[in-house]
Amino acid sequence: MNEPVFSVKDLNVSYGGNLALKDVSLDIQPREITAIIGPSGCGKSTFIRCLNRMNDLVPGAQVEGQVMYHGEDIYGPQVDPVTVRRRIGMVFQRPNPFPKSIYDNVAFGPRINGFKGDLGELVERSLRRAALWDEVKNKMRKSALALSGGQQQRLCIARAIAVEPDVILMDEPASALDPIATVRIEDLMQELKQEYSIVIVTHNMQQAARVSDKTAFLYTEVDEESMSRWGILVEYGPTGGIFTKPVDKRTEDYVSGRFG
Amino acid sequence: MRETFHRELEKLDQDVVRMGALVEAAIEQATLALAECDLDRAQKVMDGDDAIDDLFLDIEKRALSMLAQQQPVAGDLRLIVAILRAVNDLERSGDLAFNIASVVKKDIDIVKLRKVSALVYELGHASRRLLSRALDAWTDKDVVVAASLDDLDDEIDELYERLFRELFALQNETSFEVAMNLVLVGRYFERIADHAVNLAERIRYFVTGDEEHLG
Repeated sequence: MNEPVFSVKDLNVSYGGNLALKDVSLDIQPREITAIIGPSGCGKSTFIRCLNRMNDLVPGAQVEGQVMYHGEDIYGPQVDPVTVRRRIGMVFQRPNPFPKSIYDNVAFGPRINGFKGDLGELVERSLRRAALWDEVKNKMRKSALALSGGQQQRLCIARAIAVEPDVILMDEPASALDPIATVRIEDLMQELKQEYSIVIVTHNMQQAARVSDKTAFLYTEVDEESMSRWGILVEYGPTGGIFTKPVDKRTEDYVSGRFG
Repeated sequence: MRETFHRELEKLDQDVVRMGALVEAAIEQATLALAECDLDRAQKVMDGDDAIDDLFLDIEKRALSMLAQQQPVAGDLRLIVAILRAVNDLERSGDLAFNIASVVKKDIDIVKLRKVSALVYELGHASRRLLSRALDAWTDKDVVVAASLDDLDDEIDELYERLFRELFALQNETSFEVAMNLVLVGRYFERIADHAVNLAERIRYFVTGDEEHLG
């Protein structure tokens, strides 16, 4: 067993005093794709946003517990969240390229990080890794907004890769894309996991089954008295097992579509 | 959530039992035909095999469509895989009943060989009972009942061996052809019992997800 990239212990997250995620503990292995599945409102996005301190940006968000990243607590007092986010990149549901050229989109991160090497070479390498180079190499100065949705999403992946992160977090990266663009992203993820650890939130269970090595199932727990609800981790393990022989009845019911 | 799919899957599961009932009846009739040298009954068994094959193809087709269209997972996936394997066992058992009936049609008169006749009859009944119990286990998805088939199968193997010994002792009293046909019939019944044991394995796979083999 490798040293985990992330070792999350007793993670509790609340927004404005309302609990959103309760007692989540799990390890995420390097060079693997870890999928987070579960019904809407179960805290999937909340969870993934704890992994690079994105929740710091949400007013009223409070994070308790430990998120150890290579053995260091990223919520430790001396840790700079900007450094964290450089090591742990993120790709969102809607492709969000800057209104700039394709080249500048990819070069943006390295530039602000004070990259000193051959920027053109880094941009090309990032676009190649994101399986976009052949489609854009002759129009690097064109606006990124002229690309198709699928291309824009791969551009966002190239932009994330350009700062040479260690982990890529993906929050429903293909849910706004058509099936062909989706398949390209899924193929790309298999390539990327050779070098990066990937955590993907998806509400498409088939996608989780297709792409991931491990799957975590989060589920919403409801307190009948106060009618408040929060997410808990129900089951976590190798994806093959989750989709053929889940241990927990709730996982079985969810993946086989008996509730949602 | 996915109610239509789950209703169809349930129906598919029930059709396995329906197919099993047809096969069970075929075995019973083939056994009677053999014991009584009833050529008409044998012919009916042979004619009935088409209905079994049709149901087999229908279940297989629906199961494959479900795999392609519904992408079942977890228990649903295991059930469909179990069904696909189970109907294969049932279809083979139906063919074996057909084979037994076709031996009867060759007009082998085993009534004269009383000891052997009784044994073959017993073998036929025992294999039908085994299938019947496997189908009960299937209906209830009962792994305990399924596991009990192993012991019954040992009895059948024993009966089959006894059949051999009896025939050997009678070698001067019967023709080589009749002896060969009886060995074949014994073998067919013994195979039917093996398929019933396989069916029980499919239940265990569905319930536990384990691929362990019973027999």
